[in-house]
Amino acid sequence: MVEALLETEALTRRFGALAAVAGISLRIEAGAVHAIIGPNGAGKSTFLNLLSGELKTTSGRVRFRGEDVTRAPPDRLSRLGIGRSYQTANVFPELSARECVWIASHSRKDGEARVAERGARALAACGLAARSDVAAGQLSYGEQRQLEIAMMLATEPILLLVDEPLAGLGHDEARTIVDLLREVARNRTLVLVEHDMDAVFSIADTVTVLVDGRVLETGSPQAIRESPRVREAYLGEEE
Amino acid sequence: MTTSLVAVQLLNGVEYGLLLFLVASGLTIIFGVLGVLNFAHGSFYMLGAYLAYFIAERTGSLLFAALLGLPVMVLVGFLVERLAISRLYARDHLSQVLLTYGLVLVFNDLQRALFGNEVHGVPMPRALTGSVALGEMQSWPVYRIFTSVACLCIALLLRQVILGTRFGMRVRAGASNAEMVEALGIDVRKLFSALFTAGAVLAALSGMLAAPLTTVYPGMGEGILIVSFVVVVIGGIGSIKGAFAGALLVGIADTFGKVLLPGVSSAVVYAVMAAVLLFRPRGLLGQPALQR
Amino acid sequence: MNASRRTRVALLVFAVALALVPLSGDRFWVQFAAKMMIAALFAMSLDLLVGYAGIVSLAHAAFFGLGAYLLAGLTNGAGLVSPLATFPLALAGTAVAALVIGFLSVRTSGVYLVMITLAFTQMLYFLFGEAPGLGGSDGLYVAQRPRLSAFGTTLLDLGNGRTAYFFIWAALVAIYLLLARTVRAPFGRVLAGIRINEARMRTLGYRTRRYKIAAFVAAGALAGLAGVLDATLYGFVNPAIFGWRQSGLVLVTVLLGGKGTLYGPALGAVLLGVLEHFGEKWTAYWNALIGAVAIATVLALPGGLAGLLRGSRG
Repeated sequence: MVEALLETEALTRRFGALAAVAGISLRIEAGAVHAIIGPNGAGKSTFLNLLSGELKTTSGRVRFRGEDVTRAPPDRLSRLGIGRSYQTANVFPELSARECVWIASHSRKDGEARVAERGARALAACGLAARSDVAAGQLSYGEQRQLEIAMMLATEPILLLVDEPLAGLGHDEARTIVDLLREVARNRTLVLVEHDMDAVFSIADTVTVLVDGRVLETGSPQAIRESPRVREAYLGEEE
Repeated sequence: MTTSLVAVQLLNGVEYGLLLFLVASGLTIIFGVLGVLNFAHGSFYMLGAYLAYFIAERTGSLLFAALLGLPVMVLVGFLVERLAISRLYARDHLSQVLLTYGLVLVFNDLQRALFGNEVHGVPMPRALTGSVALGEMQSWPVYRIFTSVACLCIALLLRQVILGTRFGMRVRAGASNAEMVEALGIDVRKLFSALFTAGAVLAALSGMLAAPLTTVYPGMGEGILIVSFVVVVIGGIGSIKGAFAGALLVGIADTFGKVLLPGVSSAVVYAVMAAVLLFRPRGLLGQPALQR
Repeated sequence: MNASRRTRVALLVFAVALALVPLSGDRFWVQFAAKMMIAALFAMSLDLLVGYAGIVSLAHAAFFGLGAYLLAGLTNGAGLVSPLATFPLALAGTAVAALVIGFLSVRTSGVYLVMITLAFTQMLYFLFGEAPGLGGSDGLYVAQRPRLSAFGTTLLDLGNGRTAYFFIWAALVAIYLLLARTVRAPFGRVLAGIRINEARMRTLGYRTRRYKIAAFVAAGALAGLAGVLDATLYGFVNPAIFGWRQSGLVLVTVLLGGKGTLYGPALGAVLLGVLEHFGEKWTAYWNALIGAVAIATVLALPGGLAGLLRGSRG
């Protein structure tokens, strides 16, 4: 069995009476692209926010590289190697793309030369080298998503939590991002929340289906596609 | 301290706390629903006290002063909301602080221009001038009993309005989710205007009730404003129950501070606040920091 | 000439002009200009907090007051006269107070922070106004102005109005250059990131609270310096300088001048100083005038004077 990079154990988050995440136990294996799908309100984003420390867990545990990080704040998780990108581009609109990436890179404080070099590398990897002086708020929507990923890469994460990277993108822009994610995933672990099924099935190694805050099923894309339960609960409605 | 002295101080503390609550509840509701931090809230307290003095001196009746003064405050509150506060709803808190700070300066000079710089006493209504014996050595003035009871009645009325009326329902909805209120088709402008005016009137009423006890003097609004902030911070911003608990705590702490620590009594309530913050940064009944 | 170059030239001209004020020989205007420079330094220190880190604090007058009182206390109580002793000690004392207040305040944000810092300011106001031996509401005289002497000769006598003037001028220029450098340095850029989106900075791995406390302490210590200079200039301290109105006034100064520009708040300080000076002569109600300026700034000029100069109102 491959070692789990991240593991959750009965992870639960309640908002008042509503359990948005209701006891999710999941293993994210090192090197995998693990997609999380499910209908709206299934708890996907809440789940990511619990993993990144932006929401406090109500009960349950999270282990990252064997260490219990259930109560760790987001900044500590980031320094441990968990990167995060957001559904709506969460950049610094007043700053240029280069400055955004610099800020991300500088969080690792290992000398200005390395900070700058890592930032430039992340910008180039995301295809933004030519746009580095443009204010983030002036970039196109797709470019902002690229910048979002560049900022995440500039912190050199081991595990990437990527929330709906394709939402609201046109076909060509979406393709750019899918290619970018595929490239990024070569030597990193990815947890990907996404609605675009074609994209998910084309890059995921493992797919987990969430319904009502619970895991309905986890398996290979093939297995998920053929699962009658998944079809009934989710895929069937859309196709 | 003898038991009866403790009892009197406790009663004084509760009475002061109840007066504070009238000011602080308006402050906390206005922030909770309108999202505006209003520094001019203390000015309403001051205006109330000065109106009480001004009218009572001419008519000889505090009751008459209240009957005549409160409608004036309705107008003042309404105008301040329409002309100034309503422009702040979409603005950051720095703008709110500065604009309402500007209002404080303007109101202070308005007070000086209209009523002068002197300290004025306000006579108590004759029917309320006696005092009630407490034990052998101590007594408690009837007027303090009256203000305590009046404040308690208003607090209960407030509770009834907020929990039991359509207006209260809208206020509660507004406090939890302003967008939803709009989606429900409630006229937010009217709601905010009414709420702000009500807060101003409550603060003024508190000033009127306090006037015979504290005298009226320039700068009295700022003193009460800052103590009300302490109350709101201790109670948790936006929480009326918290404001009630905070007001009593501050009232009692302040009263006993004056007796037990005369040299530094004014600093006592702030020390209480610091202690609360150390353990509960969002106050006793405040919502935990919103995390996304 | 581009805008930033033009600004730099204007600032240089302004600094030189300020250095020439003592040539006028008019004692009143020299002291007036010195007062403006202290107010400018005070406002710039707050701009680091408000304009760059996005922290709206009403504790700033408290640090100004602490600096002033510490100078008075070190001189009168400990008999220290040398600015080499009193200035660093007063600044260190202010920094420690800023650390404690900052630690308690920065755990919250927004209006909560506004109210908490206001309450702490008021607490210090009462403590210094009521504590025995500090002169109560009358305040204290500083027994001896800071003076640096070695081998029997006086090297620097800040009791001399002209010397004090140049000392304050030098402090203002040095602090401006220091702050201008700081806000462009990584520290300043991280503060800007926190102002724009603190939650995002945390998921990028920043311990944002530490940065905010650091900004709070740095700004507080510089406010303390302004207080020390004030006590040096006037030889007198009183608790009114702690008052929350002073904290409000310096916020007005920052917004009127244009937050996040450093020179804007300095400009605001000069404008408000002039307004106060002539307002006092013109009407007994000049405070209302300042209030009206605050209201008008918020409603009509959110970018402040600096925004106006740059031709934008944002």
